[in-house]
Amino acid sequence: MRLTHFRRVAAGAAVAALAFGGLSALTTAPAWAATSKVSVVHGIPGQPVDVYVNGEKTLENFEPGTVAGPLDLEEGTYDLALTKPGEPIGSAILKADGAEIPGGANISIVAHLDADGQPKITPFVNDVKATGAGQARLIVRHTAAAPAVDVRAGGTPVFEELTNPNEAMADLDAGTVSADVVLAGESDPVLGPADLNLKEGTATIVYAIGSAQDDTLALVTQTIDGLHSAPGGVPSGTGGLAATGLSSWWYVLAAGGVLLLLFGGARLATASRTK
Amino acid sequence: MTVGRRGASVALAAGVAALIAAAVVACQAQPAPDVGGAEVTALATAPAPTRAPSPSTAPSAEVAVVPPVGLRIPAIDVTATVNPVGVDRNGDFAVPPSIDEVGWYKFGPGVEATAGSVVIAGHVDSAEQGRGAFFRLRELDRGDRLTVKGDDGVTRTYRVVAREEYRKTKIPLDRYFARDGKPRLTLITCGGPFDRDAGHYRDNIVVTAVPA
Repeated sequence: MRLTHFRRVAAGAAVAALAFGGLSALTTAPAWAATSKVSVVHGIPGQPVDVYVNGEKTLENFEPGTVAGPLDLEEGTYDLALTKPGEPIGSAILKADGAEIPGGANISIVAHLDADGQPKITPFVNDVKATGAGQARLIVRHTAAAPAVDVRAGGTPVFEELTNPNEAMADLDAGTVSADVVLAGESDPVLGPADLNLKEGTATIVYAIGSAQDDTLALVTQTIDGLHSAPGGVPSGTGGLAATGLSSWWYVLAAGGVLLLLFGGARLATASRTK
Repeated sequence: MTVGRRGASVALAAGVAALIAAAVVACQAQPAPDVGGAEVTALATAPAPTRAPSPSTAPSAEVAVVPPVGLRIPAIDVTATVNPVGVDRNGDFAVPPSIDEVGWYKFGPGVEATAGSVVIAGHVDSAEQGRGAFFRLRELDRGDRLTVKGDDGVTRTYRVVAREEYRKTKIPLDRYFARDGKPRLTLITCGGPFDRDAGHYRDNIVVTAVPA
């Protein structure tokens, strides 16, 4: 049990409010889209929670290491609270009051530990712009009580020096990659390797959660689909055997025919006059 | 009859012959007009049958994608192997280089899908290998039947509902590579006038079929 993580509720709530303050600056919401997709990620080991949104119980017995949602939330300000299952909102273990949710965005709200092991809530705006044909987006978020890490794919670092609570992302060829996490500059994995199936046209978001010190590090994965786009074209012929439309020689023939008619007509006219 | 007159008559006759020949070829070269375009739009915009809503916290049960492995179109004598393909380095559809084979867009729906467009593309021809599997695709008409064998061993029958020709610069690819809308099969090849200098066709021929 990691109940110790929840003692400093006030501190956690303050940090969360700060983090949310910056959220609206990160998103550009189209004027017509007032609803945001909001997913909730539980990244604090050891304690299932109930999640309250504006005083209403929205998620019940939400297990650590899982993702819930997405909820459709109207643009606006929300009070979020996490309680132990069944406990009243008054005895919340983590709160974020006045969280601003912009419109038209795709957001993940993560309850997690900061680098020093304190619980906090961090919102991330998910990049859901279309991926190129054949591509998948990989987003990695450091939300664990651990120092800077490198994320490797197939043994090669792809994201380096990632720190809590930051993210790194790249669009890659779709397919399965073997990913692991090492402390920055080191080579022994602290997490993984895990096979990630990066499906074409999706964003795969991997959260490192838990605590290095308590040996509770784990990965949580969230997937957003429907980001695909069509190929650029379908080049499927180089021979010209099926060409429609006229080759230019037929235009030459037609022009020749017209000239012959004019010439013949002129000769006939001349011949009949000289007779 | 004077020599001059005879020459004039010959010139007239040759002129008429040349014009008739050019006109006949021009008429034959005229591609068959598009059919069924409105139906294609309707298929793309119709909501697909809704899946039973599942609690979003539960891992979604994924239905295995069934790749097509064989295509038969009796009306134009096509029997072709279907290979799963993606995109090339330019982000274009990676049509199989062997012209007797056609490619299924593996990132899109499989033949089991209850929504979206299963896309199979093939060469109309190639400079090196001659006529391709889809050489006569533009001869397909509404009502023609074709069958697709999936790698689950099941053969599914489709009925052609549309044949369209688009300039490659104008083709609404999002509509044909859609993963939503009614389930349908989209066959694509090249057509239209051929640019000999660039070595490619101006247009794409697109045939849309629905489960029969």
